Amino acid sequence: MKTATMILGVIGSDCHAVGNKILERVFSDAGFKVINLGVMVSQDEYIDAAIETGAEVIMVSSLYGHGEIDCQGFRERCVERGLHRVIIYVGGNLVIGKTPREQVIAKFEQMGYDRVFMPDVDLESVIELLREDIKKQRLGNESISKY
Amino acid sequence: MDIVKGKISKKSLMELRKKVLEDWPTGAEVNLQEGVKYQLSLPENMNFAKALAQADAEKKVLLQPRAGVALVEEHIRLLKYLEPECDLLPTTIDAYTRQNRYEEAQRGIDKSQAAGQSLLNGFPAVNHGIKKCKMLVESLEKPVEVRHGTPDARLLAEITLAAGFSSFEGGGISYNIPYTKKVPLEKSIAYWQYIDRLSGYYEDEGVSINREPFGPLSGTLVPPFISHSIAIIEGLLALEQGVRSITLGYGQAGNLIQDVAAIISLRELADEYFHQSGYDDYALSTVFHQWMGGFPEDESKAYGVISWGAVAAALSKATKVIVKTPHEAMGIPTKEANRQGLICTRQVVSMLADQEMPQTQQLLDEVALIKRETRCVIDKVFELGGDCLALGAVQAFKAGVLDVPFAPSTANPGRLMPVRDNHGAIRLLDRGGVPISDDIYEIHKELIQERAKEEGREPGFQMVIDDIYAISKGKLVGRGNYKAKTKK
Repeated sequence: MKTATMILGVIGSDCHAVGNKILERVFSDAGFKVINLGVMVSQDEYIDAAIETGAEVIMVSSLYGHGEIDCQGFRERCVERGLHRVIIYVGGNLVIGKTPREQVIAKFEQMGYDRVFMPDVDLESVIELLREDIKKQRLGNESISKY
Repeated sequence: MDIVKGKISKKSLMELRKKVLEDWPTGAEVNLQEGVKYQLSLPENMNFAKALAQADAEKKVLLQPRAGVALVEEHIRLLKYLEPECDLLPTTIDAYTRQNRYEEAQRGIDKSQAAGQSLLNGFPAVNHGIKKCKMLVESLEKPVEVRHGTPDARLLAEITLAAGFSSFEGGGISYNIPYTKKVPLEKSIAYWQYIDRLSGYYEDEGVSINREPFGPLSGTLVPPFISHSIAIIEGLLALEQGVRSITLGYGQAGNLIQDVAAIISLRELADEYFHQSGYDDYALSTVFHQWMGGFPEDESKAYGVISWGAVAAALSKATKVIVKTPHEAMGIPTKEANRQGLICTRQVVSMLADQEMPQTQQLLDEVALIKRETRCVIDKVFELGGDCLALGAVQAFKAGVLDVPFAPSTANPGRLMPVRDNHGAIRLLDRGGVPISDDIYEIHKELIQERAKEEGREPGFQMVIDDIYAISKGKLVGRGNYKAKTKK
């Protein structure tokens, strides 16, 4: 498989850096080309980087509770700026308060995220899913994104 | 504004203030004389510095939660609900305000109002302004501290101090390096000189404002001497601007000996450096933060982590302990979970109130080691700064002399790499550019080697990752799969 480029970053005004540094390491070790924008990344910064590098994946993290506000409209913004086929994953502590995970996943899928993860997810399984999703997306006839 | 050498004059403070107060419309409500008068009108039990000084004299450990929501009425309800179970109150500020994004904070307030629940992760004090902040203070019976993570908190300080808050967390290093990406250190240190000078102004007028540099930094495997060095530097910078009530902090590492030694050495080192710099008329206290890293999701396990933090806080005789909640792994806790964390901590702290940590050789050695390490760093920062410690701190980060593990700021060198030793104490896998002497570095290497041997693997980054996730997986030392294989 051709090396896939991924844009990695923590969205909004969030400065949680530890997981970001670990994700960079783990995804790089798994063979992805990781462009890590670090913490406090705006929607447009992800998109700029994705356009510039031809990235197939945008990996959004949010840990501080404002995820719901920060992540809204990201898919529309991508489409608006010409990224019609980018795969977007989101993970972290996405909402304020203890909410059933099914609810959180449904909410973010509705917003246009292809996959939604909780903090306790096994990163190996994320890597597997990502490889499958990229393969499907490259085949092109069945877009995994509904956009 | 730029870093000032020495104390900011009253005249330049007044000039700087004019501009700061123009940042957001609520700044126009601030009048310094009225602020002082208002603080003096509050009952004595509302003053943070007094509460800490009294606890310090009585050798008590005070409890403080974290808490903040978007709307005033809701925030008052939250604090009143926590008040009976704690000694000191917080007001945690939301992340937009921390970045001075007051328009976004306003949207957060509006959306929260519409949603009927808080969509912000804290209390946007600047947007609410003086009147609503006073309403908050007046509905409470215990002193309130502003807790945040704001590199430029000048307007936040102006508003909250004038509205009766009597403690303000943060510092030019500790609220930059772990909390921002691109704010230059020379800027944030200058902003915090202003805040210290403003606090010093209140102090001169008879209102003691407690200042608390943020101890835990990135909260992730920070060796005690790193956080001690930064805490003491920020303490000295605060003293220089006229602050007299100082609380220095430390975040739990998890190894009891190292944690108790850390609080003992922090206090002794601070006194040593403060006296050495010519200050004698200050009130020093310490704060112990329960585990700041990743928590287990299971609430019973989380109570275990909270209790262990309570043990270390009580045995180290820290003046206060910042309490976590059983919802930590999930993000912002419900008010019930927040109170449960306090009740759990109170139980442990009370049971240990009459017990002493035995002064074993191992404890004394650890105290001595932390002191030697800290002196290596601070003395170098003094050397780099010449007659200006603030500039010394900026130089120190550029040179790699100060380095905070896992911090997001581009001003942070990020070359130092910590890892746990075989007993869970935090040591240096790689000292980076931090001027730890070779003989001390050798001690670290030996201790890490002991662990490597036990686990049958070479020390490396995988060990560090395993350590970061260990507590949420039920261990202190991240043994990976290695130990499990050999023992089974």
